[in-house]
Amino acid sequence: MKRRIASCVAVLGLVCAPAQAQWEKVPRANIPRMPDGKPNLTAPAPRLPNGKPDLAGVWEPDNKYVRDLAADLKPGDIPFQPWAKALFDERKDGSRSREDNAAHCLPPGVPRINAAPFPWKIVQTPAFIVIVYETFNLWRQIFLDGRELAEDATPTWFGYSTGKWDGDTLVVDTKGFNGKAWIDQLGKPSTEALHVIERFRRRDFGHMEIQITIDDPKAYTKPWTVMEQANLLPDAELMEFICNENNRDLEHLPSK
Amino acid sequence: MKARQSPSLRSVFVILPSIAILALASAPAYAQWVKMPNSTPRGPDGKPNLSAPAPRLPDGKPDLSGIWEAGSNKYVLNIAADLKPGEVPFQPWAKALVDQRADGSQSGQDPFANCLPQGVPRVNASPPPWKIIQKSDVIIVLYESANTWRQIFLDGRELGNDYPPTFLGYSTGKWDGDTLVVDTRGFNGKTWLDQTGKPTSEALHVTERFRRTDFGHMEIQITIDDPKVYTKPWSVKQQARLVPNTDVIENACENNLDLQHLGRKFVK
Repeated sequence: MKRRIASCVAVLGLVCAPAQAQWEKVPRANIPRMPDGKPNLTAPAPRLPNGKPDLAGVWEPDNKYVRDLAADLKPGDIPFQPWAKALFDERKDGSRSREDNAAHCLPPGVPRINAAPFPWKIVQTPAFIVIVYETFNLWRQIFLDGRELAEDATPTWFGYSTGKWDGDTLVVDTKGFNGKAWIDQLGKPSTEALHVIERFRRRDFGHMEIQITIDDPKAYTKPWTVMEQANLLPDAELMEFICNENNRDLEHLPSK
Repeated sequence: MKARQSPSLRSVFVILPSIAILALASAPAYAQWVKMPNSTPRGPDGKPNLSAPAPRLPDGKPDLSGIWEAGSNKYVLNIAADLKPGEVPFQPWAKALVDQRADGSQSGQDPFANCLPQGVPRVNASPPPWKIIQKSDVIIVLYESANTWRQIFLDGRELGNDYPPTFLGYSTGKWDGDTLVVDTRGFNGKTWLDQTGKPTSEALHVTERFRRTDFGHMEIQITIDDPKVYTKPWSVKQQARLVPNTDVIENACENNLDLQHLGRKFVK
């Protein structure tokens, strides 16, 4: 099996695995193909027997958003609260990047982990979706079974995610955060009031749009929205990525 | 949903030389979810019927899906807890090393005490529960312990020769009747098989035979084949039980206060 070239460009490129073939005799994936046998990534998105889009697959994000979630917005478009703007201005030149919890191998949080340069795999069942991330070998669940978050849930890095279908778009609400994650490497803060809405739309076989709304009234004066893209990796599989092993970046990261 | 014990509370019941190794994250007991549907079969009294037949997938194979926890916490301390002393066929160097580790004075060197993965098969015996999601071509296991995951491929693929060695290895599974036989190789040789410190090498080959005996119970027969460390393969049997009405929760290896209390520092 071909392994994609691991991207080791970002601050979070903590482990740089060479391109290697882990697996042999991998069955040819049952995916739409062109006459020449190459995957047809613009074929229609697959559907489950219940008619819902099947988001399953190994996906790789456009990694510019891990550094700056607002990369596509104009300066000044992010409605920071004054304290959050002051904190972000202190962090954004990278001089405090050692204070980023993700640099210490702690979970990067939602939605940042989707934008990490490493791929992730969606496994979908009617009642829940699991995303296993190559990043730090972490996982996340999105429940589709109608459950709701209790008011006394333990605050977490990834929050608690529930999803509902809006036509062909999966709308995922995530709350119950611990407020410790930076939502990007530049250091936009989050608080325990963070509510993330991700709208996943698989627009064809090989492409997914993720519209992300950040609603955190303690850090931002109003909700703000960005759009990310993810590409299907049709012939790849995730690898083991253990951040706590030999984390050599940390010593090179500055702090004040 | 009923509140259940947090990871730290559960691990209190593990009596260990280094009691706190597993209490790496301490979250209080809370109920995370409300209005949670449940499909566990129930008896006339409304209680989950854990001795109902094991469920099956449309293809007729047993469905191992569910939230499971180790039936006993003794195996994370000592995977050979049910064997007699002397029954583990150590190579001489491995016996000498495990004797040095036996009093817990080197438990700070245990990779798991340093927020590194416990490896296979130890992670199954760890007190926090784990969730199996079974598809026809792959099984995903989500471990609450350190929020790690593992895949078991059922699609016929085989491990090649030029893989990066890993903590959790590369797992493939085949059905032998109603038993799922999982082969795992490609380890990095850094993990301890248990907290008492039985070593592993890169030659480790683990065979796990998972058999869901009824709705609420699973047997796991484990064979350790690591000729660099053990003179011959040896086997143990563990039990796992289904945990109805719950789900796995976040348990990041965060605020690792145990390490300073453990003997000997881990050298990466």
